[in-house]
Amino acid sequence: MKEKRKGPLSRAAGLAEGMAATVRRMQREREPRVLVYDPAGYARLVQPEARGHDHIMDVAERMLALVAGRE
Amino acid sequence: MADTLTPGRAAERLRGLSADVRAAVLLDAAGSLAGASDDDHDHAQELAELARRLFEEVDRATRDWDTEPPEQVEVQIPGGAVFASRTPRWTLAAVAKRNALSSLLLYDLRAVLGELEGGPPIRRSVSVAGAGGTAGEEHAAEDLPMPELGGQ
Repeated sequence: MKEKRKGPLSRAAGLAEGMAATVRRMQREREPRVLVYDPAGYARLVQPEARGHDHIMDVAERMLALVAGRE
Repeated sequence: MADTLTPGRAAERLRGLSADVRAAVLLDAAGSLAGASDDDHDHAQELAELARRLFEEVDRATRDWDTEPPEQVEVQIPGGAVFASRTPRWTLAAVAKRNALSSLLLYDLRAVLGELEGGPPIRRSVSVAGAGGTAGEEHAAEDLPMPELGGQ
C-alpha cells in the first residue's frame, strides 16, 4: 500500500513524481509503433520484429514526408 | 439535403473535426482517390496511393493472425503519426501531428466513415452563449435521450 505523504515538501515530491510519470507515459505513447484495431476496437501491436512491420513503417514515413514537404 | 456528406468532402470534414490532422485522403473500394483535403490533385493522388499500400502491408503483416482483418491502423513515427480506417466501401487515411490523441483521431475517422455510409451526421456542439442563451439550452434539451416509461 502506498504510504500517505505528509507535509508540503512531501506533497510537492508527490506531484513531481506524478508529472514525471505522465511525461514518461506520453513519451512511451509517441515511440515508433504499429497498432492495428479489429472491428470491435481492440488494439494489437505489430511487433517490431514481425514480418511486414518495417514495410508499414516505411509507407507511413513516406506519407508523413509527403505531407511535411507541402507545409 | 445540403448537409449530406459526400466522398469529395469527407477528408476536409475530418480536418474540420480534428486540428491535429495535417492531411487526409479518402479512397473508394477500388483504391482510387475519392476525396482529399489537399487541392493539389497530384499530391493527393500520391498520398492516396501510399494509403492504399499502407493497408496492403497491414493485411500482409496480419495475414496469419487468428483475428478479423484490421479495421483501423495507427502508426507512430518520429515527427508525426498516420491513422487509417476502412469500411468495405471506403478507406480514410490521415497524417497527423505528433501530439495527436490516438483514441480521438480513430473515433473521428470512424465517425466520418459512418456518416459517409449514411449514418447520422456528426454534430458540433454549440455553446449556449453562441446559440443565443435560452434558445440554445432548449435545443440542447431536445438532444437529451428520453427515457422510455412504462416498459414493465
